[in-house]
Parts: sequence; structure tokens; C-alpha cells
Amino acid sequence: MIDKLKNIFKVFSLSELRGGLNITAHELVNKKITVQYPEEKTPISPRFRGLHALRRYPNGEERCIACKLCEAVCPANAITIESEMRDDGTRRTTQYDIDLFKCIFCGFCEEACPVDAIVETQIYDYAFESREGSIITKERLLEVGEKNEQMINKAKLEDSKYK
Amino acid sequence: MIEIEIDGKKIKAEQGEMLISVTDREGISVPRFCYHKKLSVAASCRMCLVDVEGAPKPQTACSTPAADGMKIHTNNEKAKASQKAVMEFLLINHPLDCPICDQGGECELQDVAMSYGSDVSSFNEGKRIINDKGIGPLIHTDMTRCIHCTRCVRFGQEVAGIMEMGGTGRGDALKIEPFLEEGITSELSGNMIDVCPVGALTSKPFRYELRSWQMNAVKNIARHDLLGSNIYSQTYKGKVKRVVAGDNDDVNETWISDRDRFSYEGINSSNRLLSPRIKVEGQWQDASWDVALDFAIRGLRGNVLKNNQPNQLGALASSNATLEEYFLLQKIMRELGSENIDFRLSEVNTKDQLNLNSNIKIAEIEKADLVLIVGSNPRLEQPMINHRIRKASNNKAKVFSINSKSFDFNYQINQNLISPSKVPNMLASILREAKVKSSNLSSLTDAQNTDETLEIANAIKNSTNPLIVIGEHYKNTKNWSSIVSLINLLAKDTDAGILNISGTGNYFGAILAEFLPGEGGLDANTMIDKQLPAYMLFDVYPSYDSHNAENFVNSLKSEKSFVISFNSFQDDLVEQYSNVILPIASFYETSGSHVNCENKIQSFAAAVKSPGESKPGWKVLKVFADLLELQGFHYTDSTQVTNEVGFQSAKSNKADKEIKIPKSNSLEVIWQSSPYIIDPVLRNAEALQNTNIGKMNIAFMNSKTAKKLKLNDKSVYLNIPVSITDDVSDSCVIIQTNQSTMKRSA
Repeated sequence: MIDKLKNIFKVFSLSELRGGLNITAHELVNKKITVQYPEEKTPISPRFRGLHALRRYPNGEERCIACKLCEAVCPANAITIESEMRDDGTRRTTQYDIDLFKCIFCGFCEEACPVDAIVETQIYDYAFESREGSIITKERLLEVGEKNEQMINKAKLEDSKYK
Repeated sequence: MIEIEIDGKKIKAEQGEMLISVTDREGISVPRFCYHKKLSVAASCRMCLVDVEGAPKPQTACSTPAADGMKIHTNNEKAKASQKAVMEFLLINHPLDCPICDQGGECELQDVAMSYGSDVSSFNEGKRIINDKGIGPLIHTDMTRCIHCTRCVRFGQEVAGIMEMGGTGRGDALKIEPFLEEGITSELSGNMIDVCPVGALTSKPFRYELRSWQMNAVKNIARHDLLGSNIYSQTYKGKVKRVVAGDNDDVNETWISDRDRFSYEGINSSNRLLSPRIKVEGQWQDASWDVALDFAIRGLRGNVLKNNQPNQLGALASSNATLEEYFLLQKIMRELGSENIDFRLSEVNTKDQLNLNSNIKIAEIEKADLVLIVGSNPRLEQPMINHRIRKASNNKAKVFSINSKSFDFNYQINQNLISPSKVPNMLASILREAKVKSSNLSSLTDAQNTDETLEIANAIKNSTNPLIVIGEHYKNTKNWSSIVSLINLLAKDTDAGILNISGTGNYFGAILAEFLPGEGGLDANTMIDKQLPAYMLFDVYPSYDSHNAENFVNSLKSEKSFVISFNSFQDDLVEQYSNVILPIASFYETSGSHVNCENKIQSFAAAVKSPGESKPGWKVLKVFADLLELQGFHYTDSTQVTNEVGFQSAKSNKADKEIKIPKSNSLEVIWQSSPYIIDPVLRNAEALQNTNIGKMNIAFMNSKTAKKLKLNDKSVYLNIPVSITDDVSDSCVIIQTNQSTMKRSA
């Protein structure tokens, strides 16, 4: 009987509605957490493991020396490398493919790299228009590296304190 | 037998045996760099330090002989600490450039540093750097990585027989380098790559191609010489990428010749035949297998089988096919009713097959106390057999040679220079003087003695285990049959061993499969002269395989001959005379067997698939037989063919009753193809062609012969540049060449 009366009172006093409106009123004046993606992006950790990139040295020389350690360590067998001796006698890749469908973004390739050539950038928003597009070639990897060198550098610098 | 204790375990050992061979036998791991089981002990790397109870300091296991009651600890604190310290020392000057080093992944230094080394180094000073001199087209050097184990130096001294690498300088300035500008020229040099524990010596053709872990190793048999060295072909994505030595103490121990190691480049060449081809109205066109086989069968039927003249069909092969291929081709021929079967294209004297069977095992060569080499330069022709003879020589055996040119032997040898036509006389007089049993010598009384023959005869008489090695030089001279008969007699009368190395490739496989004319059959030369209406040619490239390619091509080119060629490489001459060319698999691409000079049959599996449309030869021959509706070719596996090869006991050595000893001294040309052009795979192997041996192209003669032929140092003889030197006998021209040729005699 008492429970029934309590319920009637709760319904007619609109307490739940007021509780809801109270939150709405609070949020109306509070700082917004919604991000206007893609114009705005949420901050991410410098250790974020996104799209891969191949880096160059400041003098323009590619870093990768075709040691194939990333290929060996890759748990998903996503990396394919072919190497050769370049005309100047240095060891270089002729092919460096990453299959992004196979890749599990574990970051082992970056860990294994003795020359910091292959890195995982903070880029996560990318799309392919064809199935073949999932295989990212050496040229594209180097391009990603060139375009985002500042971002990569910054992330590495931030993280270096903790290594 | 004594008993020692290693790590608390009681182990039996020989008195004086080095500790490291005991631990190796027992499977106890002791790290090492300079120790190699087939080389002498240097004890220079100090890595194998173990704790011997009672000794004040740790001892090197490789140079400490076992003694009764010895107590050894290989991994107690003392041993471990000293191993760790040595490892740190070795890494002081090592560049640690493993990521760009080809040895990375198969490096003994890497492995031992992981297991026995320390994570950090206390060395912060500058490292030593060494400028590399090139040492040839086969081996790449990075001497900065060298840890001075001296395995390569000892290999050169002890196995290759020429000390081309050595240590110069002392202490910090010690460098391992070749003494001469021309680098390493040994025919066994590739083994230095295998013995080098670090990445200082690596394979040049393989440089930067792959990591060791990317490849599959397939056990295989090298088919370029009469030995059949055991090898591993390492494959990646269906291509042979590298060849390394396998172990077999009965055959090649742990060494292989450069020829076996670097020939794989040939099968990956762009010169391969990729699809069946037929000639229609004088024009070559690619065809499918069905069309090409049908074309071939129709040609055979039209030209010989329809008229019921199977004996008008001839089959010829080079000496590079497998045992199974020889067997199937001769079986097809014999089922069809033709005995015109021969593989001796390079031989002038094919009237009768002279049997000269080796009666000695390869591993026994080193036990001989006298070796007589007749007509051979084994160092180039059969490098691994030369190594065994060298071992015999090191065991104090006396070595004599009877050759028409003095060669650069790598052991103590008494070389006798003699004109080819005087060889029978020399052998006859040796036989007469050395005979220990009676034999019919009526025809030998004329033979004249010389000081040399007496010396050799005496040496044979006084030896307990003589060996006669007969090579290929005199094969195409007029007196070959006398030489063979005399050697057979000499061996029989003196109980000497015979080692017949007068062939190449699978020479003995062809003989075992009876790929020879049978009753009423024609031999190779007659077959070519007769212009038969149909031929089947298996793996034949006339400008390299035939002693008279001009005649060969002209004869087969005629309109009335229908020629079916089975080849694995493209060749202009083959296209000139063939009507259909069927592409077959090359070395490493087919299963089969190789028969070596002691008649040991070694079977191998295919390591990779053959390129394009080409198919293993035995499969093509099987289908060919099926299409000809022949019975008894239901093979599904090449081993079924191998099992069917009749393992008849070797035919007895035939000795001519009448041995002719020529009196006249006629000019003989000894044509020696470079060891790197004897089969199509080698001819397409680029790195080998760039070596000194691969480039050799000289006609040697002495000044007397040159005068007679009106030649000088600048002229050419049979298109080969002439070199006049006095270490050639009279009336003899020795040609060593890397060129193809249409004619091997003037």
C-alpha cells in the first residue's frame, strides 16, 4: 500500500524528469567533450601504433638497410622484403610491402628495427579503394614518412624519456 | 681407451684425443671459433676454455689431450667466466654490423655471443677498420669483421694446397689478407665461405640477396664431376639461391668445389628454354606440349616407324643426363628395335667401348702409397679427387704423372713430360720393368726404357698399395686403346688400383644404364656420318659436346633427317638442325641419380620446379613412350626407374691382345674444355666465368711445334690464342679453352 503511494507521488512530482533536465542543464554550461571529427581529433599517445611509414635520414638517404628483422619478427607475416646491392655497394630493399589486412599493429617491426626506419605513425584514418590497396608499397611507405616526419619526430621525442 | 669425467659424467675417450672431439661426440656444447674438425688445431681464439681440475688456469678444449682420470667442467663458474671474458675480447674489434651482414642469422659469432657473451661491453675506444682488397668474383670480403681464427688460412694451406690467404702484421695490426693482388684463385676457394665463422668471407653472387632463415635446404647431389659431391641447395620462392656443402666422408668430406657451389646461377639464367617449340616450314613457333609431342611422334612414325625401319633411328645424349633419363631413352630405343644409342659425342674413337673400371673407393685414394697419374690435370678436371690424391701425398705417398704438359699440382709430384704418341711406349716399358706377375709381353719387347720409366717402375715395384689414375687427355689421341689396355695390364700385374676419371658429369651413369650401341647398333660417329632419317638428341649442345660440331650440324641439318631435341637451354645450333625442341628440367629441377667414378649411385630429389613449361626429362620420356604405345613404362616416380636399372656386375676390363706401340711421333691436339663450360648450367653461371679458371683460353705448344706449324705468340690456332712455352712436350698442342668450337682438330 505504502509502496503504491510512493510511486504515485514520484510520478506526479516529475522527479525523474527533473533529474534528467538537471543533467541537461549542467551539460549546457559545462565544457563539451564531443569532438568534431574529422575537423577535430582526440589526442593520442605518442606510442600509438597506426599506419606504417619508412623514414629517411635528414640528408634524404633512406634509413632501411634491408636487414629483414621486421619481416622475421612479424607475427602475421605481413611484411615482404626483397633486397639487393645498390650500385654504391650498400644493402637496400627493392621491395618493401606491408599487407595492412594481415597486419595486427603489434609494433614488433618498429621494435626490431636497428635503424628506426620502419615506424608506426599516429595516423589511423586511412582507407583503400581496392583490395590491392591494402598492400602498401615501399614508395607509399616512404611518402608517408616524408609527409609526417615532424609528427613522427615529435612522438619519438616525447616517448624517449620513457625508454 | 681411458676414462675421463666431463661435467660429472664418466666418458670413455682415446688416449691423447683432444677434449673438444670428446665433447662433440658426447653432445656437450663447447663454444669455438678456430677449431674445425677437418683442419689442424690452432688454439688461437681461446673460446673453448674449459676448467680442468688440477690445472691452475682454464685450458683450451681444442688443444688439451685427454688423459686418464681427467676431470673437466665445461660450464662451472670458472669456465663460464673465462668464456665470457674471451667473448668480450673478440667483440672489441668486431663491428657488430649484423643487420647488414650476410652471415647474420647463421653466424657462429652471433650464436656464441648470445649464449656465452655479455649484454654490455666495457670497451668504449675506437674500433679497428680494415680496407678490403677484392679477392675475386666468388668471395666477398669484409675483413673488419674478421676475428683472426685463421680457419681460411689453414684451409688454404691444408686443403686447397696453396696458401693464398695469410696473416700480415702483428698484434693490433694483424690482418688476414691474400698475399697476391689477383686474390684467391683456388678451385676450392668457396669452402672458405663455409669455414668462416663470421661474415668476413661471404658469397659474392649471393650478396645481400636473402637471409639464411628464409630458405629451405634440400639435400642434393652435384652433377658436374665424376664424384657427385653431397650438397644442400637452398631454395626461396622456387629458385635455387645458394648451394652449400653437405657432409659425406665417403665422397666429399665437408668440402665442395667452386664448380658445384656456384653453378646454380646457371639455372636461373634468362637463357632457359621455356616452352616446347616446333619448326613448321622452316619457321620456329612455340607450341603446347600436346601439339609438340604429337608433332614429334608423327615425325618419327613418318620417317622411320612407318617403313618399319626402327634401326634408322638414332639416340644421342651428352654426359650430363641422369641415370633415369639414360635408362628410359635407351629403353624406348630398344623397345622400338634400334640399337643406335650412344653418349660418347666428344670421343673420336667410338668403334669399341673400352672398359676401364675403377676398382677403388674414393675414400681409399688417400691410403695409396704410390699414385701414377696418366693424362690428367685432376686439379681442374676433378678437384675433389685431386684433394684425395693430395691427402695421399701428405701421407707420404709418391706421386708421378705422365702428361704432355706440366701442370700446377698442389702437392709433391714427379712430373714426366711426354708426347702423346710416346705414352704407350712409356707405359709398356714401365709394365715390362715393374711386372711382378707373368703376362703376355710379346708385343712389348720393343718398348724403350728411359730413366723416368725405370724410376716409376721401381717405385711401383716397391709400393704396397699403388694406384693408377687415368684422365681424359689422351682420350681422343690415336693410341687411346693401347693406353687403356696397357693400364689394365699394368694394374692387373701389379695389383694396383685403377681410378678412371676420363669423363665428365654422369659418364658412369650412362655406362650403367647401357646407353651404348648394342649388337648391330651404330656408334655416335657413325650415326652422325650416316645421316639417319630420325634422331633423338638428349641434352646435346654440339658446339660444346661434340668433337666435330661442324660435321654434326651439317649432317643433321639435312632435309631428310627428323630431329627431336630435348634441351633445357636455348642454343642456335640446336635450332638449326632440330625439327622439334622439347624443354626439359635442368640440374636441381629433376629427381634422378648420379653415378660416380666408384660406381656409387646417389639419388637426389628435385629442389625446385622447372621454369615455364619445361618438365623433368624422365617424365617427358615416359609420356613419349606412352604415345609411341610402348609397353612397360608405367612409372609414377623416378625411383621406380632407378630400381629397374640392371645392376649387372661390371664388365671385365678388356685388354687388347695386340698392343700397338707407335714409332712415329705425329702431332696430337689435346682439347681441354674449361672446367666451367662442360655443361649448360655451368656455361650460364656468370660468376664462375669471371674467375681465372673460367677465363682460360690458350693453346699451349712448345717452340718446336710452333715452328712446325708456323705460328708465333701472337697467332691463333683453331681460333685459340697461342702461347709458346717449354713445359709442353714435342708434337703436342694442349688447348685449354672456355670457347665453344665447331672443330677440335686441324
